[in-house]
Amino acid sequence: MKDLITIGLPSKGRLKEKAISFFDNSGFKIIQSKKERNYFGTIENKSNIKIIFLHAKEIVQRLGDGTLDVGVSGLDLLNESGKNLRDKINIECKLDFGNANLVVAVPDDWIDVQTIADLEEVAFDIRFKRNTRLRVATKYPNLTNNFLISKGVTQYKLIPSLGATETYPFIGSSEIITDITSTGKTLEDNNLRVLKDGLILKSTACLFVAKKKAAKLQPFLNSLD
Amino acid sequence: MKSKKLSETIIKIFKSNGFELSEPDVMLDSEYIIERSGEKFRSSMLTFEREDGKTMCLRPDLTVASCINFLQKKTSSKIYYSGQAYRRSNIKNSNFINDQLGIEILGSKNQIQDDFKVISTILSSAKKIKSKKIQIKVGDISLFKNLINALDMPERWKLRLIRHFWRPSYFKELLKRLEKNTDIDAVTFDTDKKRFYEMKKMDQDKVVAGRSISEILKRFNKKIKDPRSFSDGKQIVKIIKSFLKINCKLSELDEKLLDFAKKNDLKRNIFKDFKSIQNLKKLKQDINFIANFGRDIEYYTGIVFEVFSGKQEIARGGRYDDLLKSLGAKKNIPAVGAAINLKNI
Repeated sequence: MKDLITIGLPSKGRLKEKAISFFDNSGFKIIQSKKERNYFGTIENKSNIKIIFLHAKEIVQRLGDGTLDVGVSGLDLLNESGKNLRDKINIECKLDFGNANLVVAVPDDWIDVQTIADLEEVAFDIRFKRNTRLRVATKYPNLTNNFLISKGVTQYKLIPSLGATETYPFIGSSEIITDITSTGKTLEDNNLRVLKDGLILKSTACLFVAKKKAAKLQPFLNSLD
Repeated sequence: MKSKKLSETIIKIFKSNGFELSEPDVMLDSEYIIERSGEKFRSSMLTFEREDGKTMCLRPDLTVASCINFLQKKTSSKIYYSGQAYRRSNIKNSNFINDQLGIEILGSKNQIQDDFKVISTILSSAKKIKSKKIQIKVGDISLFKNLINALDMPERWKLRLIRHFWRPSYFKELLKRLEKNTDIDAVTFDTDKKRFYEMKKMDQDKVVAGRSISEILKRFNKKIKDPRSFSDGKQIVKIIKSFLKINCKLSELDEKLLDFAKKNDLKRNIFKDFKSIQNLKKLKQDINFIANFGRDIEYYTGIVFEVFSGKQEIARGGRYDDLLKSLGAKKNIPAVGAAINLKNI
């Protein structure tokens, strides 16, 4: 079908629920398959729209390669991806859910470290005394790199992490971390504290559009309200 | 002259000045380089994973590769290199491969003599291959350090300014903050002070994320005692800025510095270590001193210079006393070196 529109929505949790109700409230009622684990959906009375439920990270990727026309995912995931990918995706609008901050966190007991300036000094200290680098565990290497370098921290090394990053400082895998947090509870419960000026990115869920299709999609986007 | 022949001519001069060939490995341990030189190099390195899981990279730079070679005791201390370095860049259509040709004195025992040796060798190469008028620009990072250490401001500010001298845009930001007297870590310590007393009773050798309790408390204590603000930020920034404006013929430098010290009520002898630069008068060459110079490479610690033919930069180099230690040497190994810019000849 020539005017087929493919929309990617998060496949799990609160992000999925909120994304579905965003479309519901905009007059597009999403119908999910009766089979509980099926990944496809449709919209009531709109046979030209196809819904696919995907991992939030995957949505950004698939917008980039043209599989998806429209998608709901996090700003953090878009900004973390490479320039090539970012250049192919427009942020149509920010949505009022999925708020979370990407932050720099250090162990509570590092009471002498309150700001990035402190961190920079400690990083040099570690370098000077032990000839090793401050290790920063993160799921967001690109955003972390850009942020730390712009703040004058140079003496560090990134440790890629896939999950439970909060444990890294206490099992000897890194000294500090950067991670995404919405309430701060997980950080707190794991004896970590956000630096006073340690906000890397204020993230939120966004409606993304594949740049190539933007013109074709305009009527549909206008009808979302 | 064709480029190959040019290189040969230059190498001949290197050899006749006592430099021996160093042939560093093409493939290096990528983690080792990042561990030593920092995360920002990762994106510019060409890496791949070996079967055993180790990440290797093609040598990104011949100075670093030669230093590693030297530390593995494969070369003497006075070396030259001629070969390719491999680097990725953000610039479109830029070449991965850079031909590099240069000299280094690693483990330089006599600073004045070795600085002179490197510059004079480069100069004679330049003269051999270029007919246009040769000019040298020099700077000296240690002069800047001398100035900062002579100024009256909190220790952590001194260290900050010295650490970031080589990053002009961030340095500017620091000066702005210093000028306004808004320190970046002006925070209240009340809650932390309570924790401080609790932690004082703990086992001081206990380690939290790589740092011992005693180390944390020591720094905390020092931080409280270091003055939060000080009155003369504006004046200090003015002095630093006016120092960075110094740009004069080498023959006028003594007078300029003396004048500068006098004008700003500084002691006359704060710039004590610039014999290396003064010594260059012996070259009988057109030399300009520029205080705001050599600020794009982190590892320089002393004299820095560029050689021009007409308007073209054809060589650059400088002293880097800390690099070998940061590459894993057990003690300080001072070094000085320079490279010919083959693209411009």
